[in-house]
Amino acid sequence: MMSSPILRTANGIIFPLTLLFAFYMALKGHNFPGGGFIGGLIAAVALMLFRMSHGRDAMTRLMPIHPRVIVAAGLAIATLTGLFPMIYGPFFSVEQEAMPMLRSFAPYVNLGVGEPVHMPSALFFDLGVLLVVIGVSVGMIVRLGEEIAPDEEEVAQA
Amino acid sequence: MTMVLAICVAVTFAVSIYLMLGRELKGVAMGVFLLGHAANLSIIAMSGSPVQTDAQQQTAEHAGVHLTSVDSPEMKDPPILTNQYANEQPLAQMVDPLPQALILTAIVIGFGVMAFLLTLLVVTNRKARTIEVSDLAEEAREA
Amino acid sequence: MTDHRIILLCVIPLVASLVSIALINRRAWSRLVGVLSFTMMLGLAFSLVLKITDAPEEQSVLVSQMGGWTAPFGISIIFDSLSGLLICAAAAVGLGAYIHSFSILDPRTERRYYHPLMQMLMFGVNLSFMTGDLFNLFVAFEIMLMASYALLVIGTSLKQLRQAYKYILLNVLASTIFLMGAGMVYGMFGTLNIADLARIIAEIEADPTRQLPAGFNALAVMFLLVFGLKGAFFPLWFWLPDTYYTIPISIAGLFGGLLTKVGVYTVARLFPLIFSSNGDMMTNSAGQWVGGTSSVIMIILAVAAAFTMFLAVLGAVSQHNVRKILAVHVISQVGYMVFGIAVMSGHALAGCAFYMVQHMVVKCALFLCCGVMEKHAGTDDLDSLGGLLKRDWPLAVLFFIAAMSLVGLPPLSGFFGKMVIIREGFAEDLWILGVIGLVTGALTLLSMLKIWSYGYWNPDKAPTVSQPQAVKSSCRSAYAGIVMLVGFALFLGFGAEAVYKVANRAGEQLENPKTYITAVLGEGAYEQVDVLIAARTVEPEEQVAESIAAPQVSTEETGPEDEQAASELPQDLAKRLIVENPPYTVSIPLGKHGSIIAEQAVSTQGALWPMPWITQTDTGWEVIEE
Repeated sequence: MMSSPILRTANGIIFPLTLLFAFYMALKGHNFPGGGFIGGLIAAVALMLFRMSHGRDAMTRLMPIHPRVIVAAGLAIATLTGLFPMIYGPFFSVEQEAMPMLRSFAPYVNLGVGEPVHMPSALFFDLGVLLVVIGVSVGMIVRLGEEIAPDEEEVAQA
Repeated sequence: MTMVLAICVAVTFAVSIYLMLGRELKGVAMGVFLLGHAANLSIIAMSGSPVQTDAQQQTAEHAGVHLTSVDSPEMKDPPILTNQYANEQPLAQMVDPLPQALILTAIVIGFGVMAFLLTLLVVTNRKARTIEVSDLAEEAREA
Repeated sequence: MTDHRIILLCVIPLVASLVSIALINRRAWSRLVGVLSFTMMLGLAFSLVLKITDAPEEQSVLVSQMGGWTAPFGISIIFDSLSGLLICAAAAVGLGAYIHSFSILDPRTERRYYHPLMQMLMFGVNLSFMTGDLFNLFVAFEIMLMASYALLVIGTSLKQLRQAYKYILLNVLASTIFLMGAGMVYGMFGTLNIADLARIIAEIEADPTRQLPAGFNALAVMFLLVFGLKGAFFPLWFWLPDTYYTIPISIAGLFGGLLTKVGVYTVARLFPLIFSSNGDMMTNSAGQWVGGTSSVIMIILAVAAAFTMFLAVLGAVSQHNVRKILAVHVISQVGYMVFGIAVMSGHALAGCAFYMVQHMVVKCALFLCCGVMEKHAGTDDLDSLGGLLKRDWPLAVLFFIAAMSLVGLPPLSGFFGKMVIIREGFAEDLWILGVIGLVTGALTLLSMLKIWSYGYWNPDKAPTVSQPQAVKSSCRSAYAGIVMLVGFALFLGFGAEAVYKVANRAGEQLENPKTYITAVLGEGAYEQVDVLIAARTVEPEEQVAESIAAPQVSTEETGPEDEQAASELPQDLAKRLIVENPPYTVSIPLGKHGSIIAEQAVSTQGALWPMPWITQTDTGWEVIEE
């Protein structure tokens, strides 16, 4: 694989900053441009760059779990967020009314410090989307990289 | 603007179909991706025409909103936010958000199809040692 | 009627697929999760169908608006008799094929995400049966197709890969056209909700001063092209036989039962609702006839039905290979369903619904039988088959019942569907189609008897690949799947009256969309159409002029609560709500839909979404700035 010292050194700065930016975009997405999908894509770009600069083994060390676990976890979070109102509505809410799936809530949660935080339930859905996008992109790049790598070696030998 | 979009859609479709008719699966895959982009562009071009269609006008009237013509012919009329107040600044700046939501979804789906098709190409190449359509047909006949 | 449980039909397979991803390396657990999921879907769908069958008309369509957003804006999930019947059949077919696959697939293939993919496929299928929104339908199709692409190449033999390219490219092309069609619909009518579209189009049709936008018929044909490709109508069926030839037989059974029927379902849902405007209603203000959509569509559908039925069955007769005969028969049977839709009367649509259900079950059962036959002989070539009647008489009995159901011998299930469709064909002057249907039935019998006589009656000529006992003991779960499906087929035959009652209701709902539209869009959504039609039929000129001159925002449309709410609003706000959420300002007209939003804002006042910045005070409404 390509391994350039310049890229590797620069990536030391770029990688954490990109991840931070991804997180910022994911949080910002409720009322502004951004969101889980965008954040996930940015994070995936960071991870792809890492894969390019540091190689396959470093990638495996950085992310020891299989990408499918991340995808499954993200989907599970999103599904549970969707299902929450269906369980909360008839059994726990004050009105005891049936609520449709994916109904969102936007409570202001008091975290004990500072002002109450606007925390819509869409946040958790977006978190799920973020994980799914990261998992899918990383899975794709890792899988395709693994598939292509042996061929490259053979071409080199030939 | 609509004309430019229409030409873009036409060119993208032409290129993608040319690629899809080729003999190499790599080109076919590229053609598939371009096809998705062409469809997305055409959604932008089609949804919310600068001139209100008859049906839209009637729907808006039915909803109790009187339509006025928009100042700029390039503005799209968002059917969700009918343009009664189009002359007020903030709304005049707005574009119909729904086609963009549709396109975003379509892009994500296209992304998935693209990933699948690429993986399929890699697997085919590994199994058959070729991604030429005619060679592949021979290989399959032998197998 | 609102019932939020219906979405569980989509959630169950989704959750099951997640669980089976987690259990990817534990075969027994994955299988258990899958079987549980299919059983739960079947049970839930069955109980919901029972609930709506005897319900009065206003409760016969179950609706759930996702996220609580009202109909034209949000995503509606709708469960009516047609969806219910098909979801029941889909879950049954899925369960049968799934159990069958335990003894067909090798463990390595099974570990390659077979279980999650099956559940995802069911998720897509159920969603496309229930969605009430064109774009959501596209998404559901894509979910289903992605799962089917992956299932198609599972095991990755070179032959499979080659066929997969054909299938994938055609479906991507169809999806692209579908996407453009959805964009066009949105451009023309400003909505994608099927019920809302049906309402708008019905109003335009009923109103002599308005006409449908140019290109509407082209749009209808475009959609027909898309769903025709997915449903394998003539002449778009060339992809089907080869595709089904190469994949593992259980999956072929599932695809043969399910996938084409999703395309047919979409035609049966969309065309009577949206693209069925009558020719005689389509006159413009000058009184000129401008041509109705149904006149175009009906001809296309009728021709497609005739050729699909007849040419495909000829293809089946000429094949000499069990799988290919069955695969080509899928197409021929689709022709009957298209025939039912082409007639477009309530009874014909009911017959079509019944036929779809029975065909899913019976066709899948036949494919599964073919799987066991292959296990016995090592091939599905009719020349090397033989003697199965002696070797394995239970299989012979099961195959015979399923084959005769497919042919349509009374009292088995195929008979009732075909009888209704062909009778309606003769009644509606489509007698050519009726005759072709009868001839096709005879040829179907011929090709089924061919399999029967070559495979079961002929003497056992081939050197036995495997001992009958060994096959029987290794195929236990395969037999279980077949027995289950044949049992369903017998139930559809002998219990046809009960099932046909549901199908009949589905046909009525398709023919008369008022129930559907009212259930989705709320009370009074269809009133305008009724008023216009009444005006047309009584006094063509004066009444229409009156009803058009009258302002149409009026309170009669929006119901008593909105009337009250509107009266409480300040004069300025009565027409619109200005919603300020810096830096955006959105003004929403308080018309038909605007009032719905306002109502929702009141009912969820406080810190809840949507629109926490609108509150109702003692004096009226207040828009607060965040």
